[in-house]
Amino acid sequence: MTAVQTSTAAARPAAGSGSRVIPVVRLHFVNRFSMLVLPWIILGFIFLVNLAIWWIVMSAVSPDADRADVQEGLQWSGASFYIFVYMMVLGVQAIALTFPFALGFSATRRDFWLGTSLTFVLLSAIYAAGMTVLALIEVATGGWGLGGRMFTALYFGGDATPWFARFFLFFATFLFFFFVGALAAVIYQRWRVNGMLIFFGALTVALVGGVALITFSESWPAVGAWFVETGASGVVAWSLVPTGLAALVGYAILRRTTPKNT
Amino acid sequence: MSAVVEVRGLSKNYRTVTAVDEVSFTVEENTIYGLLGRNGAGKTTLMQLLTGQEFASSGEIRVFGESPVENAGVLERTSFIKESQKYPDDFQPKHVFASAPWFFPDWDAGFAERLIADFRVPLKRRIKKLSRGQLSSIGVIVGLASRAPLTFFDEPYLGLDAVARQIFYDRLLEDYAEHPRTVILSTHLIDEVSNLLEHVLVIDEGRIIVDQAAEELRGSATTIVGTRAGVDSFVAGREVLHRDQIGGLASVTVGRLDPLERQEAAELGLELSPVSLQQLIVQKTNVPAKEFEVKS
Repeated sequence: MTAVQTSTAAARPAAGSGSRVIPVVRLHFVNRFSMLVLPWIILGFIFLVNLAIWWIVMSAVSPDADRADVQEGLQWSGASFYIFVYMMVLGVQAIALTFPFALGFSATRRDFWLGTSLTFVLLSAIYAAGMTVLALIEVATGGWGLGGRMFTALYFGGDATPWFARFFLFFATFLFFFFVGALAAVIYQRWRVNGMLIFFGALTVALVGGVALITFSESWPAVGAWFVETGASGVVAWSLVPTGLAALVGYAILRRTTPKNT
Repeated sequence: MSAVVEVRGLSKNYRTVTAVDEVSFTVEENTIYGLLGRNGAGKTTLMQLLTGQEFASSGEIRVFGESPVENAGVLERTSFIKESQKYPDDFQPKHVFASAPWFFPDWDAGFAERLIADFRVPLKRRIKKLSRGQLSSIGVIVGLASRAPLTFFDEPYLGLDAVARQIFYDRLLEDYAEHPRTVILSTHLIDEVSNLLEHVLVIDEGRIIVDQAAEELRGSATTIVGTRAGVDSFVAGREVLHRDQIGGLASVTVGRLDPLERQEAAELGLELSPVSLQQLIVQKTNVPAKEFEVKS
């Protein structure tokens, strides 16, 4: 072999552009059932159970004053939290399982991360749209005819929020759960158990430290006021900061990660 | 011929071990290579380095003339099938075969279908529930049907039965004849693949100890069997690779013999037999590293 011949091999053009961003998105969606159908089935079941409970409660409570009390309480419903946790699990699995698989299919880490981020955005939009529609129905039917609250709970802006604000609220919340789940999984993929211990250790210290800081500076009222002032949409808008950070830090860590196969 | 892979002074150190130690070699285009060695010799690490999955501690890797790390243009022409490949939890084999064409530009769907039938892979069963052999079949099918110009098979057939392994060898050779490409195959079943290989790389404790054409390697050692006295007188002054003796009989492995020497041995009433690739590699990798260095 001579140097000249070597350079001919090197000069051979690549078969395509090489970018695998869209293939990675398609890979995430290849099993449509678990990405797009199963979460709605589970959510539907939770909804039916809630509907039954509202019906039982409303039938048992007779005076109007008591009914108003129940409705007051229902605006704190946590019935739809499941779907956010589910999306976080999808975020974790995207890294823990699809990452080693995609690299086995000769994707680069960059293309994987871009494709995965795009997938998270698409899924967040799809699910936020669905949740918004359900919230609108909930408002229009007076809580499914029973005064129930599942998609218009207080932290989703209550029942007087315009549809685009609702959509944004859900959308940003989904993104937050996706990217935080992905970040935790990336840390695990890179540093295994030690990484998890340090990550959650640091998180705990930061949270306790924050609580201590607020308590000793006697600023709880100020914190409360901030939340009231900012409102649900504002708080969610601020969540885009940690979401963006998780996306950037996640990529920085993933770039030097070798997929673990055990 | 031109080089597809060029490696110079490549090392990979982990905290306590050196998995790949100052390795240099070249892989020529359109050749079937065997990457052989014992467990933990560094085969998988070396393949991970060549496909940009692992990062080198020092040294240089050129695949298609460029570094493979995060290089989409290089990786697109590479397929890396490993025994330990992970699949997403809810995947069925059909999902793997549906998504493979998006990643491998030379994917041949017709060939993949034929292979799926050959290996009898159930398409609609969760991958988690497949047997070890069926799981290996999926990797083998992806590796063959992707037709990547540079294909790595790392222990591709754990759990595959003899029939399936033969199908793999046959299909690989057939397809290789029609669509030449570079294949790097690591395996423990050396004798089974010895006719398939055109070039052999043997890695031991992170170092390449053999880098030779398979044909050359096959004739590079001979075993001499006969009476102890006869064998001893014949091998006196030669480098002995391996020695067994029972009572008055001895069996000694030495290096290459020329026709004159073969005749001499025959006249002494000694029996000569070729050493299989597997035996040769067992002997080479069984020697403690230091002793081997002195010899070579």
